[in-house]
Amino acid sequence: MNLPLLLLFAFAILLVLLLAWVLRDPRKLPQPDVDLGYAEDPDRRHVTYFPQVRQAMAAEDSAFLASRASEALNRRVRKERRKIALAYLACLRGDFLKLWRLARVIASMAPQVGAKQELERLRLGLAFSWRYEMIRMKFLLGFAPLPELGSLSEVVSRMSIRLETAMKDLGERAALAAKLASSLDGRGLDTP
Amino acid sequence: MSSLPLYVLVLWALSALVQLIALILLFAKGSFRKLPFFTAYVALNLCQVAFLVVVYSVWGPKSPTGMILAWYSECVTLLAQALATTEILKATLGPYQGVWGLVWRALAFTSAVVVLVVALATHGDWVRAGWFELNRGYHLTFAAAVIACLLLVRYYSIQVPATYKLILGGFCLYSCTEILIHTVVQSIAKKAFYAYEPVWQSSTTLSFLVVLFIWVAALWKPLPIEVRQAAPSSDSIYKRLSPEINERLRELNEKLLQLWKLEARPQ
Repeated sequence: MNLPLLLLFAFAILLVLLLAWVLRDPRKLPQPDVDLGYAEDPDRRHVTYFPQVRQAMAAEDSAFLASRASEALNRRVRKERRKIALAYLACLRGDFLKLWRLARVIASMAPQVGAKQELERLRLGLAFSWRYEMIRMKFLLGFAPLPELGSLSEVVSRMSIRLETAMKDLGERAALAAKLASSLDGRGLDTP
Repeated sequence: MSSLPLYVLVLWALSALVQLIALILLFAKGSFRKLPFFTAYVALNLCQVAFLVVVYSVWGPKSPTGMILAWYSECVTLLAQALATTEILKATLGPYQGVWGLVWRALAFTSAVVVLVVALATHGDWVRAGWFELNRGYHLTFAAAVIACLLLVRYYSIQVPATYKLILGGFCLYSCTEILIHTVVQSIAKKAFYAYEPVWQSSTTLSFLVVLFIWVAALWKPLPIEVRQAAPSSDSIYKRLSPEINERLRELNEKLLQLWKLEARPQ
């Protein structure tokens, strides 16, 4: 088999695999309703816990502890703090993904979708995932750029406020549409 | 007809029978009203079987006239396949105007790219390859375009009714197996294609038969009643929020990049 034929064969196999993936059980797909619920409950956002996390990770605390406590205790505290930082970073990512999905819901309901905007968001989402993994590795290896997490939290927080307003608007429209649809069904217009 | 082996003829007959069942189901369940192009596609395939029986009986499968007529009939069914697929995608994405707009552009773009790649890959080989290459090129384009659309549908978490999903999946599966079979047969047969024609005929018919069984299972139940989607949001919401969200995401990415670039600082 020569190279072009081999490439064709590999491409066909790739297509079959992709097909199997896209046709997977829809119950495993993220449900937009979950995201809508999330938008209505701002208390569930993890970014709001940043001050507590920052307090727990303060450099002054570490210096104070290093001057007073034993090396074993210091090590244990560092380990615990790293765990907290990693958990917080994971939660931050969760917040980001939920907001990102909300943006997709807005796009799916829009009468016109801009390809440029959508591609840009897709690219940003992929870049975020890649960088998140890199930073996570950095934490795991024992380096901690924690003060910068404050800026991240702020960005996510600002974005969610804007989206909450939009989703409220969309929710009202959806309710109106459902009401309209049920009244039409009542008149027997929905007969297949 | 006599030059085709018995097992190929049996597979043809079986395929025609399952197509007939699919067609009966489409009419009996009233699905033909919602899927006129798909109904036409199944009917055309059934007609093609009858047409090929006549052509091969008169001219034989290896005669140039017989071959050309057979490939022309294939062109008609392939066109019907493309129309039936577009119809199902439209039925699924109709309520999502914005996404549908994006999907048909993706379909056009992917098709153009794949056609170009296929043309480049088979450059200079058209006279020898001819119909065979064209057929594979079509299936390659078709499968890539439909899978690209399905990826977008999944990206936007749009629920596709099971029946439509099985029909689309069947089309794609058939196209993928056609590419695989064509490629394997071409690499084995090299220039002695006629020696392997029964293998090619039987394997493609067998893969189509599998797809037909999937479709019959899908069509057994009536098609889903059209679900009314929520009223589309106003255009301004998307236009206002989308760039803003992207800006925030970009900002967030830049922050992440800054984090990554920070000097290593042990705690």
